[in-house]
Amino acid sequence: MPHRATTQTHSIFFNSLKERGFDLVFRSADDSSLSLVKYGEFLYQHLVIFAPSVEEFGGSLNVRAITDFIDGGGNVLVATSSAIGDPIRELGSECGVEFDEEKTSVIDHINHDVSDLDQHTLIVADPSNSIKANTITGHPVINPLLFQGVGMTADPDNPLVMDVLTASSTAYSYYPDVKISEYPHAVGKSTLLIAGLQARNNARVVFSGSLDFFSDEYFNRPVQSARAGSKQYSKAGNQDIAIALSEWVFKENGVLRVGEVEHHRAGEASPPAAYTIEEDVVYSIRIEELVNGKWEPFQGTDVQLEFFRIDPFVRITLNKSNDGLFVAKFKLPDVYGVFQFKVEYNRVGYTYLHSKTQVSVRPKEHTQYERFIPSAYPYYASAFSMMIGLFIFSLVFLHHRDEGKSKAD
Amino acid sequence: MDAFSNIKNILVKFYDEYTQSTAKKLKIVDAYLFYIMLTGIIQFVYCCLVGTFPFNSFLSGFISCVGSFVLGVCLRVQSNPANMSDFKGISPERAFADFIFASVILHLVVMNFIG
Repeated sequence: MPHRATTQTHSIFFNSLKERGFDLVFRSADDSSLSLVKYGEFLYQHLVIFAPSVEEFGGSLNVRAITDFIDGGGNVLVATSSAIGDPIRELGSECGVEFDEEKTSVIDHINHDVSDLDQHTLIVADPSNSIKANTITGHPVINPLLFQGVGMTADPDNPLVMDVLTASSTAYSYYPDVKISEYPHAVGKSTLLIAGLQARNNARVVFSGSLDFFSDEYFNRPVQSARAGSKQYSKAGNQDIAIALSEWVFKENGVLRVGEVEHHRAGEASPPAAYTIEEDVVYSIRIEELVNGKWEPFQGTDVQLEFFRIDPFVRITLNKSNDGLFVAKFKLPDVYGVFQFKVEYNRVGYTYLHSKTQVSVRPKEHTQYERFIPSAYPYYASAFSMMIGLFIFSLVFLHHRDEGKSKAD
Repeated sequence: MDAFSNIKNILVKFYDEYTQSTAKKLKIVDAYLFYIMLTGIIQFVYCCLVGTFPFNSFLSGFISCVGSFVLGVCLRVQSNPANMSDFKGISPERAFADFIFASVILHLVVMNFIG
């Protein structure tokens, strides 16, 4: 939902979305008929807010509606600028991102673009400060990134916020025209330029402090940092990372799903009603990843299985086969109760993967215990000797008493 | 020296008394009890050496000894003529029958539990 002119200045970005099969609906942020929900259902799957300075959304749209949209699983891409309005700031703090004040900018007196000799707000972000996750940034970014806009900090209490792109250690966020009189909102690498959030329901939100970051101008512009000895690049890295970021936020990348889950005793084909302790068990789970719109076998090698009852009793890495089937074979612990086969795979850039399968594990039956253990033979012998002893003793005792009686008579 | 010879005297006297004045029937019971005690001690030492692995087997073996010992002591008490006054109405035959009955039950339980 951008300003009208934004469709022109950001045409490369929007065309890329169109080419990937999205139906775009452009609406002005103050359109009085704005609404995300109609008859209790969401009208859209994804939301792009390129309206930095909006003071109030039109129609029924407000921050509450947007957070409900996120809670309902919708993905949101927000780009703002130094002219940030209250609704965007509020939305940020709902999502664990604190924006700096209106009219502030991220300033970097070392790593700014050579063309910006005045305020040093057109900063050149080093791609090494981007998050190390190929699902979010696409291929590792090589060209420097241009950024001009407001800085953010991540709420330390919110563990779900990811630092997608941070400023360099020489940057800070303040009013460009004002003498610094108080400590800036964000300093150095804690200044976020782009923040990502993957909510617990796998809804994804990306906040960019710079609307221009996605513009055609920055996509095609040559870039050179003012830092001594840095070389000129003919094209900024913005386009690659912006498109990769949109693929991530709109769930085209880094999406996992669980296929069939199977478990059975080793050598059998179907699961039993209940397992017995210390049995050998085979567990398999199919995990698929969305690649270019198709579900393909997931290629990760670090998926772990937990056999769980309050605490994990067994934790092993699943072996991957080529068709996306992850298999583990292990021996059940010598503990009975209600257990879960639990796969929890949480990796940066991927959706959370949870799979729980509940099974009961019972103790051995009376007949399943080992019999005639060699080390127990002395006990067997003693028990039988007690019986034989009793027999002999009875004979002797009775015999003797008869004798005694006859003597007494 | 004095204490040692004292104890020796007591023991000798105790032994003489026992051999002379204890009924032969009771001596048979005592021999039986001694045998049980020996078996129990051997089992306990074995368990300490080898470990408690087939714990149910150890328990049933050991408890069969303890149980037999207790039953034997009861029989000895009841069939001792000196205690006649305490067990009026319980004849020696009755005491022996009780002893056999309880022993049979004990060994049934032990066989069930020994694994």
